[in-house]
Amino acid sequence: MINTRKKHTEFFELSKLRRRFVLIMILSLFFALFSRAIYLQAMQKDFLQKEAKNRSDRNVLLHAYRGKIIDRNNNVFAVSTPVQVITANPSIFEASVKKRIKLARILSLSRRDLERRVQKKKKKVFLNRQLSPEKAAQVMALKIPGISSNKDYKRFYPAKEVAAHLIGFTGIDGYGLEGIELHSNKLLAGEPGYKKILKTEKGRIVDDLQDVKIPRDGQDIQLSIDKRLQYTAYRALEKAVEKHAAISGSAILLDVKTGEILAMANYPSYNPNTKGKSKDFIRNRVVTDTFEPGSTIKPISVSAALESNSIKPHNIIDTSAGYYKVGRSFVRDTHKYGKISVKEVIQKSSNIGAIIIGEKVKPKYLWNTFNNFGIGQKTGVTFPGEVGGKLIHYKNWRKTDHQSATYGYGMSTSLIQLAHSYTVFANQGNIKSISLLKTKDLTLGRRVISKKTSDEMLGMLESVVKDGTAEHAKVNGYRVAGKTGTSKKVGPNGKYESNYIGSFVGIAPVSNPKFVIAVMIDAPSIGSYYGGTVAGPVFSSLMAEALKIYSIPQDGFTERNEQKREVKPDSII
Amino acid sequence: MRLNLILYVVLIFFAIATVNSEHQYRNNYSRLDIEKKTTSELRDEKTKLEVEESDKSGNQRIQTIASEKLRMYPPNKKEIRVIK
Repeated sequence: MINTRKKHTEFFELSKLRRRFVLIMILSLFFALFSRAIYLQAMQKDFLQKEAKNRSDRNVLLHAYRGKIIDRNNNVFAVSTPVQVITANPSIFEASVKKRIKLARILSLSRRDLERRVQKKKKKVFLNRQLSPEKAAQVMALKIPGISSNKDYKRFYPAKEVAAHLIGFTGIDGYGLEGIELHSNKLLAGEPGYKKILKTEKGRIVDDLQDVKIPRDGQDIQLSIDKRLQYTAYRALEKAVEKHAAISGSAILLDVKTGEILAMANYPSYNPNTKGKSKDFIRNRVVTDTFEPGSTIKPISVSAALESNSIKPHNIIDTSAGYYKVGRSFVRDTHKYGKISVKEVIQKSSNIGAIIIGEKVKPKYLWNTFNNFGIGQKTGVTFPGEVGGKLIHYKNWRKTDHQSATYGYGMSTSLIQLAHSYTVFANQGNIKSISLLKTKDLTLGRRVISKKTSDEMLGMLESVVKDGTAEHAKVNGYRVAGKTGTSKKVGPNGKYESNYIGSFVGIAPVSNPKFVIAVMIDAPSIGSYYGGTVAGPVFSSLMAEALKIYSIPQDGFTERNEQKREVKPDSII
Repeated sequence: MRLNLILYVVLIFFAIATVNSEHQYRNNYSRLDIEKKTTSELRDEKTKLEVEESDKSGNQRIQTIASEKLRMYPPNKKEIRVIK
């Protein structure tokens, strides 16, 4: 038994030489591995760590979605839609002639332009920065080495020309350049973020190493604009400008109860979705352009006179001379009106009557009234490019400045200011702040004139539409008040041109005013140039649509109390 | 000796558990990333639909269809009856 065990041990026992050989081999192997480990860990550490990071770690930009711009009924005015950015790496770009032709066609590039771009000595050139996802898929299907496609966002404006001046547009980098896009850029844009991630060799993200910055999406902006009325305003302006071959036309519609702007349109316009916008049409003329308001200022002058008790509504004004000397020149009326009432001064738009009435008001009081009506001041909507207009301080007034201010010359206003000032007559003598953003609460106003004066002025303004210079501004079924204005254009050199600006500002319904609309037609050259004829029809069609859409009850068929209150004229001024 | 063996087994167990947990975390993170991409795609799809809706309900389109296809027109004064 013992003998057998010994034999068995001898059988498995290695020779000394073999044991040493195996041991040396194992130790050598360990030494080699150990040496390699030390070499990699100590000598090549930085290089290897950098390479590993380059292969797995990525700094990813986290996109912040730009907010939408919507109208008061949630209709989209501006939205970011996905597009693909097609880039090429000229150093590895390689394609057959057939593929190059196809590529150029899909990218809407000329063959020459494509060749010029892919021959640049750069690592990355843009071939198309706003390609539709469908077309980008076609590009990638060509499988051209060096061509890559990345997702980006492009601003899209469904309302196109209709709201272009108001909404504005963004640049290729997504930054607002005009209109609301510029005005509210900070709110709309949000803040992009970025993070460091760990990727597998197949490109799958398996971990984020650290959230460096979390993106903050932009906010949606809800405007007070009603898309339906915006469209109506634009079309009505288009019709008027084309009919009278005018340079341009502008209109603004205000809700007098809330101070919200329901429409703000200009014609001609541009399509914000296309490139190559003409600089002449980019301005939102409602807020950026000023003009001498002319006769549309007369109601403010007369209300200053009534409020200061300088005149009474039943006073008679003698305009029978047919002219009035202002400085070295003479101011005339279109007809000799003779002895007319204060109401008729407004109704017939008598310049002489306005001067006689205005002269009775002290310059300081008249200037203060203009100022309180918002003339010569920005409205507070903070729209890019808004101007404050010009109203010379009464301390610097000469006699002619005082006289010409009464009928709207020697000062300048924007259309938005004019519309804002008329909300005083619609709000029983109060002025409210106006807004381009939708508001839920009723806003408080500031008293400018008494309710009595405001009511009297509204009655006078109604007579302008009923029997005066604004027959074309009538709205079937509704009582409308308003005032026409026709003023000479002032050229860039400060001198009067031969062209006119026809304007109309109106309020409806008179029994319970809801809307104020101001319309301005610049340099009408065919047919009439009077405000009542060129701007009146635009007012009428827009007001009719607004009253219909907002279901405002008709008041044009009821007996007017104003007729019952009519008093006999007495003293002649 | 027995204690060492037990500790060794426990060590192995926790090592495997740690590896498993890391694996699950990476799997879940990968799924989260896919879901985020899906959210983004759905968001883009919603935008497309909104634009399409806006296009379909455009005033110009409605006006064209109303006048050309449905032969509608604004009523003239003679056709309006006011009920007092």
